[in-house]
Amino acid sequence: MAFTPRGPEASFFEVLDRHRASLLAALRRGGEEPAGGGMRLASSSEVLSSIEKIIQDIVTSLARNEAPAFTIDNRSSWENIKFEDSVGLHMVSHCTTRKIKSDSPKSVKNFALILKIFSMIYKLVQSNTYATKRDIYYTDSQLFGNQTVVDNIINDISCMLKVPRRSLHILSTSKGLIAGDLKYLEEDGTKVNCTRATVSIIMCSCASTPYQTHLYLITDAKFLLIVEKDATFQRLLDDNFCNKMSPCIMVTVYYLLLPQGKGVPDLNTRLLIKKLWDTFHIPVFTLVDADPHGIEIMCIYKYGSMAMSFEAHNLTVPAIRWLGLLPSDIKRLNIPKGTLIPLTKRDQMKLDSILKRPYITCQPFWRKEMEIMADSKMKAEIQALTFLSSDYLSRVYLPNKLKFGGWI
Amino acid sequence: MCKVGMQCPNSDPNPEILKYLIIYQRCETAGVSKGALLEGQLVISIEALNSKHQANTLHCVTTIAAAGSIDGGLVLKKFLKDMQSVLPGFFANLNWTSEEASHSQDTSGLRPFQMIFEASFAADVKPRTLMTDSLVIKNFLRKVITVLPKIRFNFSVKVNGILSMEIFGAEKEPTLNLSNGIALVVNCQHYLSTPKFDTTELPCSRIHPVLGHPVMLFIPDDVVGMGLLGELTLTPAVALCPCPKVFSNQLNRISSPLYIFLYGPSGLPLIFPNSEQPTTPVFKDASYFIDWKKHHLCMVPNWDLSLDRGSVLPDVSYQVESSEGEDQSQDMGSQGQTVLLFLFVDFHREFPGQKMELWGVHTLLSTHLRAILRESHSVVQGCIQAAVDRALEQHHQAVKAHQKLQASLSVAVDSIMSIMTGSTNSTFRKTCLQTLQAADTQEFRTKLHKSFHEVTQHRFVYHCSQAVKQQLLPEKNEAEQNTDEAHENSSLELLAGTGEQTENKRLKRGSQGMEATRAFRSAGALNPSEAASRRAEPTAAPLTFSRSRTGSGSGLEDALWLQEISNLSEWLSSGPGP
Repeated sequence: MAFTPRGPEASFFEVLDRHRASLLAALRRGGEEPAGGGMRLASSSEVLSSIEKIIQDIVTSLARNEAPAFTIDNRSSWENIKFEDSVGLHMVSHCTTRKIKSDSPKSVKNFALILKIFSMIYKLVQSNTYATKRDIYYTDSQLFGNQTVVDNIINDISCMLKVPRRSLHILSTSKGLIAGDLKYLEEDGTKVNCTRATVSIIMCSCASTPYQTHLYLITDAKFLLIVEKDATFQRLLDDNFCNKMSPCIMVTVYYLLLPQGKGVPDLNTRLLIKKLWDTFHIPVFTLVDADPHGIEIMCIYKYGSMAMSFEAHNLTVPAIRWLGLLPSDIKRLNIPKGTLIPLTKRDQMKLDSILKRPYITCQPFWRKEMEIMADSKMKAEIQALTFLSSDYLSRVYLPNKLKFGGWI
Repeated sequence: MCKVGMQCPNSDPNPEILKYLIIYQRCETAGVSKGALLEGQLVISIEALNSKHQANTLHCVTTIAAAGSIDGGLVLKKFLKDMQSVLPGFFANLNWTSEEASHSQDTSGLRPFQMIFEASFAADVKPRTLMTDSLVIKNFLRKVITVLPKIRFNFSVKVNGILSMEIFGAEKEPTLNLSNGIALVVNCQHYLSTPKFDTTELPCSRIHPVLGHPVMLFIPDDVVGMGLLGELTLTPAVALCPCPKVFSNQLNRISSPLYIFLYGPSGLPLIFPNSEQPTTPVFKDASYFIDWKKHHLCMVPNWDLSLDRGSVLPDVSYQVESSEGEDQSQDMGSQGQTVLLFLFVDFHREFPGQKMELWGVHTLLSTHLRAILRESHSVVQGCIQAAVDRALEQHHQAVKAHQKLQASLSVAVDSIMSIMTGSTNSTFRKTCLQTLQAADTQEFRTKLHKSFHEVTQHRFVYHCSQAVKQQLLPEKNEAEQNTDEAHENSSLELLAGTGEQTENKRLKRGSQGMEATRAFRSAGALNPSEAASRRAEPTAAPLTFSRSRTGSGSGLEDALWLQEISNLSEWLSSGPGP
C-alpha cells in the first residue's frame, strides 16, 4: 500500500538505515528469537484443560484429607530473574516458589480468590469473550478489595499456567496513544489509519489478543519514537512532526489513565511496540526526561520489569536506543540552569538502584550519562528545550539527533 | 494400716477431713520440692446398711484412706493428733492403724516412703441425706482434682451390698500450671454438663485460660481480728468453654452461663458456709466485678443449680438474660459458649503458721470471702475485668477469624462448582464426582464444603493441642524463671493499693517463701505459651507477668501458637489483600 510522500529527503535517513541494518545483522548473528519466546500462546482448549487439571488436583487433595495449595513462582524476587542482553530481564527456568495454602488463616482468602479468578477465566475462555482486569475487579470489588489484588492474581495465574495473559482472555486497558505511518486491522475488521497528522489514535487492544497471522500491520516507518509524556507527544503532533519526519511512528502513554503510573507503559503498548519490532524491525528510540524516572521507563520498554519478567520474551525490545533528553545534552546545548531541577532524595535512590541493575553493565554510554546526572545532581524535563525556542524540540533537536545518529 | 474410728454428728465431715489431709500433705511437700504438684491417693468409701435401731435409716461407716509419697518422713501419730484437735467432734473414738509401705530412694537422694493412713467414722443418716452427702463429696472431689490433678480419689458407696464406685483424677490430662503446686486442668469435659455437649465430637476439647494479674486483697479489720493474718492475693483465670477456636455455627456467641469457681490456699475449694443467696452485692450482683455491657451481655445470678451435674459445680453461676443487639426471639438455649472464671486466693508469701492454722484460715476465708472481696472491690474488679475482657476479646477474634474462614471457603467451593458444572468435559466432571464419591453435583458441593471444613479445622485443632502441650512442659523450670521484674512491678502495683489495711506482723517464712510467692505472682508467666500469646496479640492488654515471662528467656515458646495468634491478627487486618 503506497503512502503520500512526506517528510525529509531520503538522505536524511541514511544513518537510520545503517542503524537498522546493523540491528538486523545483530539479530542474524544472535539467532532471531521466535515471537512468543519462552511463554507460548495457548489455545482455548489447552487453557480449559489446564484449569480442569488444577481443579482435579484440588479435589484429589481434599479426598485424601489434605489441604490443597497452589504453588506459585516468586515473580518479584531477584533471585528468580536473570538478565540476557537479547531478551532483557526474564525469569529463570527453575525458580523459587511459594505455597498458597487453603488451611492457613493467612492465605486461605488468597487461595479462594485465585479459584474465583480461575472460574472467571474459565467462563471467558469457554465463551470466547474477553474482559479487562478492571472488569474482573468490578465483578465483586468488595470481595477483591483492590485492583492490585486482582492484577497480582492474574499475573500469578499466567505464570502458573505458563501462558500469556491474553491466552486467559484477560486484556489490559489500553493506555497508549499512537500516531504516524501505521495502518492495521482490528479484530472486528475495523481498519485503523494512524496517519492523520495532528490526531493520535487511542491504541486498541489488538496487540493483546491472541496472535493472529492475519492481523495486518502496514507501515513504512523508518523509526518508532516512544515519547514519555503525552504533553510532549501532543506538542510534537501540533508541530506536525509525524509529517515532517515521515515515515515514522510515535507512541506515548496517556497519563490520565495512569495517574499513578505517569508514563509507565501498559501491556498493550508494550505488546504493540514489540510486535512492530518483531515484524518490521523498525529502529525504536525513546524520548524521555533527563531524570531517573524517565530512564526507568526507558529500561522497562527495553529490558522489561521484574513484575512482568515472566512474559519478557513477548514484551521487551532490547534494540531500543536512548535518543534524548540526554544529561550530556544539557551542557552541550547550554540549557539555562534555571530550567534545571535538583535531584530529590528519591531520585538519588532510584538512580543508584538503576546503576546497580544487571543490564547497565552492557550500556557503558548509558552509565556515563547517569553518572553525569549523579555528579550534577540536577535533572531536566524535555520541556527545558522550549527555553531555547518554542519549537526547538521538533524543528532542531529531534531532526538533528535522528539525522546524525545522536542516540546511545 | 492406720485406722481411725469415731462417732460423729450427722453433718458430713468428709470434706473437712479431706481438706485437712490435703493441707497437711501440701505443707509437708512444700519444703522439699519446689513447684511439685501434690501427689497421692485418697480412698473414701461409705458402707451403708439398714439401721437395726431406726426405720428408714442407714447406718453408715465412712472410711478414708490416704497413701502418698512424702519426703522427710511423716509422723502419723502427730498427724492424727492434729486432726483430733481440729475435729474433736469427729474423733471421739480414734481407731487407727498405720503402715510404712515401702522405702525407696530416688535419684535426688531423698527418701520417700509410702504412708498409708485410714480413718473411719460411723453415722445414722436418712437415705436422702446419704444421697445428698454423696453428691456433695463428689462435687468437692471434682473441684479438687481440677487444680490438684495428681491426687486421685476413689469414692465408693455401698448401700445394702450394692456398690457404686467412681474414680476422680486428672493425672494424665493436660493442665495449665498456675502456682506452686497448683495446676488447672484444661480438659473442658470437667466443666461442661454432660447433656449439653458431647466433648468427643468437639475437635478441640480443651479450654485455654487467660490468666489475670494477681492483686492484693484488703482484709477488713474485723476479719483480721478473727485471726485471718497474712497478705492475700487474688488471681483470676478466665476461659471459654468449649474452645472458641474451633466452631460450629452455633458456638459463635456467649449464650451459656458464667461459672465462677473459688479456690483458696493450697488449691482447696472455698465453699460458702451456706447455700442461701448472699445479702451483699458480691456475687449477687453479676456486674459487681464485671461490666458486661461492654460485651453486649446481660448476666443475672442463677441460684438454681443441681448438684447432680456430672461436671464441676460452680460456686457462683450467672446466666445470660439477653444480649444487646440480638433478636430476643432467638433460642437462648441453643449451644453457646460458657465463660469460666476461676478465682484463686492465696497468701502473698508462704503461710508460716501451723497446718491446722492453715485449715482454720481456710474456713475463715470461706466464711468471710465476700467481705474481703467487697473491701477490695476496685482492685478485684480491675483484675477480673481485664482477664474477662481479654478472654472475650479472644472469643471475638476467633469468631471473626472463623467468619472470614467460612467466607473464603464458600468462595472456593462456589468457584470449583462453577468450573465443574460449567465444564463440557464429561471425563473431568465424572472424575471429580468419583473422587469425592458423590452421586451428583449437589452431593459433590456438600462433600466439597465438608472436606474443606475438615482440613481447616484440623489445622486449628493442631494449634490448640500444641498450645496446651507446651503448657505442660514448664513444670520443672518454673522455679528457675526470672520473675524479678514481675515481682517488682506487681509489688509496686499491689502495695500501692495495700494502704494500712494489712496487719504489719512479721510472718514466719518458709524456706521457699519468696520463691513460692514469685512463682504464684508470675502465675501467668508460668505458662509460657499463654504469655507468648499475650505478647503476640496486638489488642491484648499488657500484663506484668507477661513481661516477666518475656524476660525469663524461656525456650518453651510455642512457635506454632505464636504463628496462630499472629495469623489471627492477619485475619483482622483491614486490607483484604493476599
